[in-house]
Amino acid sequence: MKVPSVSPFLRGALLVLFLVLPLSAHVGSPDVYYDGHAGPYHLLVTIRPPAVIPGVAEIQIRDLSKNVGRIDILPLRMVGPGAKLAPRSDAAQRNAGDPQSFTGSLWIMARGSWKVQVNVDGPQGRAEMEVPVAAISTTSIGMKVGLGIVLVLLGLLLAAGAIGIVGAANREADLAPGEAPSPVREHRFRLSLVFGTIFIVVTLVLGGLWWSDEARADAKLAYKLPRLQAALEGGNRLRLQLDNPNQSAWKQFQSELQDPDRLRVDDLIPDHGHLLHLFLVRTPDMRSFWHLHPEQKGDGQFSIVLPAVPAGHYRLYADIVHHTGFPETQVGEIELPAIAGAAVSGDDSGVADLAESDKVSPLSDGHRMIWERDAGTLNAGTLNAKQAIWFRFRVEDRDGRSATDLEPYMGMAGHAVFMRTDGEVFAHVHPAGSVSMAAAALANGEMAGVDMSAMHHGNMPSEVSFPWGFPQTGDYRIFVQVRRAGKVETGVFAAKVSQ
Amino acid sequence: MSTFPVDRSPSNKPIPWYIWASVLAAACIVSGLYWDISWHETIGRDTFWTPAHLLIQFGAVLAGVYSSWLIFGTTFGKNTAAQSISVRVLGFRGPLGAFICAWGGAAMISSAPFDNWWHEAYGLDVKIISPPHSLLALGISAIAWGSVILILGEMNRAEGALHNRLRWLILCTGGFVVVQDMMFKLEYTNRVLMHSAVFYLAVSIWLPFVLEGIARASQWRWARTAMTGFYTVFFLLAIWIFPLFAAEPKLGPVYQHITHMVSLHFPILIVFPALALDLISPRIQQWEEWQQAAIAGLVFVAVLFAVQWPFGTFLMSPGARNRFFATQEFAYFLPSTVASVRNVFFQLEATSIHFWRNVVLALVAAILSIRMGIAWGDWMRKVKR
Repeated sequence: MKVPSVSPFLRGALLVLFLVLPLSAHVGSPDVYYDGHAGPYHLLVTIRPPAVIPGVAEIQIRDLSKNVGRIDILPLRMVGPGAKLAPRSDAAQRNAGDPQSFTGSLWIMARGSWKVQVNVDGPQGRAEMEVPVAAISTTSIGMKVGLGIVLVLLGLLLAAGAIGIVGAANREADLAPGEAPSPVREHRFRLSLVFGTIFIVVTLVLGGLWWSDEARADAKLAYKLPRLQAALEGGNRLRLQLDNPNQSAWKQFQSELQDPDRLRVDDLIPDHGHLLHLFLVRTPDMRSFWHLHPEQKGDGQFSIVLPAVPAGHYRLYADIVHHTGFPETQVGEIELPAIAGAAVSGDDSGVADLAESDKVSPLSDGHRMIWERDAGTLNAGTLNAKQAIWFRFRVEDRDGRSATDLEPYMGMAGHAVFMRTDGEVFAHVHPAGSVSMAAAALANGEMAGVDMSAMHHGNMPSEVSFPWGFPQTGDYRIFVQVRRAGKVETGVFAAKVSQ
Repeated sequence: MSTFPVDRSPSNKPIPWYIWASVLAAACIVSGLYWDISWHETIGRDTFWTPAHLLIQFGAVLAGVYSSWLIFGTTFGKNTAAQSISVRVLGFRGPLGAFICAWGGAAMISSAPFDNWWHEAYGLDVKIISPPHSLLALGISAIAWGSVILILGEMNRAEGALHNRLRWLILCTGGFVVVQDMMFKLEYTNRVLMHSAVFYLAVSIWLPFVLEGIARASQWRWARTAMTGFYTVFFLLAIWIFPLFAAEPKLGPVYQHITHMVSLHFPILIVFPALALDLISPRIQQWEEWQQAAIAGLVFVAVLFAVQWPFGTFLMSPGARNRFFATQEFAYFLPSTVASVRNVFFQLEATSIHFWRNVVLALVAAILSIRMGIAWGDWMRKVKR
């Protein structure tokens, strides 16, 4: 979207800024939602990163265990020397009208992988947890017309004043009291007005060029959505080449070796057991949905033999995590013929013909998945953008009894994909929230890429929930995946977010 | 002298309140700037409402108040005496200095919404030198120079004791202009650059203009020494007083353990080249202006090199790491690998050709600055309105 024109002189040379959808590990969904435990304290943390870096992140913390006395928050780099050199923490303020809610703001000073340390104090002692945040500049806001007009008027006043002062200095500043300026001085006055005007115009043009230069330099630092290249080979092998458009622009230090946050495609770490999670969604009907795990064949090169995917135009979303814990979602598109592939196996999953529902999504063997939209706190009864919501889904058998045969799927009780129907918003969310589990492990001092299958053992509850918030209005599909009796099941729901 | 003075004689007239206000405005702005830089080096995080910003804003508002009073009072009042010593700008009447101060205040106020938008669009102070900050700096300079010209107008009409008292105020305000100029050059006047020619180039640009211009306008023999002495005392007091106040960083990464406000560096020894200029000034006054500028520029650069180069060596030594010279004071964001923390010089010029090119440029800059200062000072000496 082109920013409305404000003034030629303030904009200087042509300055075109684009408003783009904010990007992050997900697509169009920069906010972080994290459901975690700081020792005995159960917290739901929402982090709204700034649109530009350096900037101020807004933090909201919900005390779910209802026994928190005080919360302090602190931003830290995920890796590198800065990770251990913290400034003093800030107290999150308890909301007077809602004592379970705390808010605060933190300054994020550089692009890259960060974490917010949450220090909790309460009757059960002190405890801490860390929430990963990807800090990126995503957008250059345009200037509102009102502000533009105010600045133009002030600028004109300053320009006229400067010219007038130069003229007065030449005409009468050195005259004796009461002495009238001579014709020679009047002539000098007029000349100085002309030269003053030329000087001001040249200054403004140069200033405008400078502004444009700064805007261009800033645009280079804005995060660019990586677009992978996808190609079908031999009728059923999908080859992917990852993109790295932010590599050079993100050089923050003289030596690239010193820059811990430099983005590379050969530094990926596994996120619950896989280097890459690939989602294929057929558009526009969104009825064919696949969650696959291609294997790495080289730096940034991945490949997989596709299962029996029906023909159509597919959007591709590839989730990866860099060694710094910085997550990215690469996007792509491909036209696929009907693939004569085998059935899915292992952690791969997918359904060729899904039918979305508002509330009840049929699974295999007569089972059903129910979106409990009205249950509990932070329920999803009304769907508003920018609001933390607990999305709860229950699996029941053909007789309406809660399912007892759910199993962990890649270490998780479930996986959810939130996707706007135009494909411009995509988020892969877990019961712990929108953060990458590899980044969460790194942030909390655990070994990166730890096998998360150890997370869940034994009987799984029939309900799975995901904290997340719609970033924008629009029509969404929610794909919810759970493993039941050794088989991955996918439910799909439609959601309309109107405000 | 009349025993029944209806009006006080010019020499006994008190200094008008707006003159004091203009000096106070310059003082607030310059002190606020110093405080703000120290705040950024110590605490890091700032808002529109930090005390340092409030002090700067108070200076801008004060400038707006006295200059508006002077301009509106002269334009719409019936004081013909005031009108006879005014200039006309855009239909308004008032002293020239008041118009310059008013312009400075307006520029500073205009920069605020511009800067706020800049932060939202491009990030919080990604670069210190940005278009809105430049507008702010222009406004700040205009208030300081406007104060100088306002006082000059008064001084050039005054006689006797009042003239002398006003001259002291001009030198005081000139001192603030020098402090301001040296703060704008901080990046190039760090002690790690004292053995690089760029340091001497940075000091030689503009500063000789300020010294020569105000010295000529004030018509006092030791004006340059007084103004640079003012700067020296200001910086010395700051490096001794600021660390008395407890503070800690609020932005990370924190590379230096800091428990108190970090001051800026020990004053640059510009008082010595200024003293040299004061000493030679009466001897070269009869020369042609370009000749004066050439010899004064040469002396300025030569004396600066002669005193600052060896003093730079001393500042790198353990003997300077104490409360008096304060070379152990570092901003929280400086890693232990940087030259200043390691107490070593940074050679900005890679080759001797680069070095000598910058030496020559320093000389050229000093000569041009002094030549411009001569013209500027001669004009300011005549300002009466």
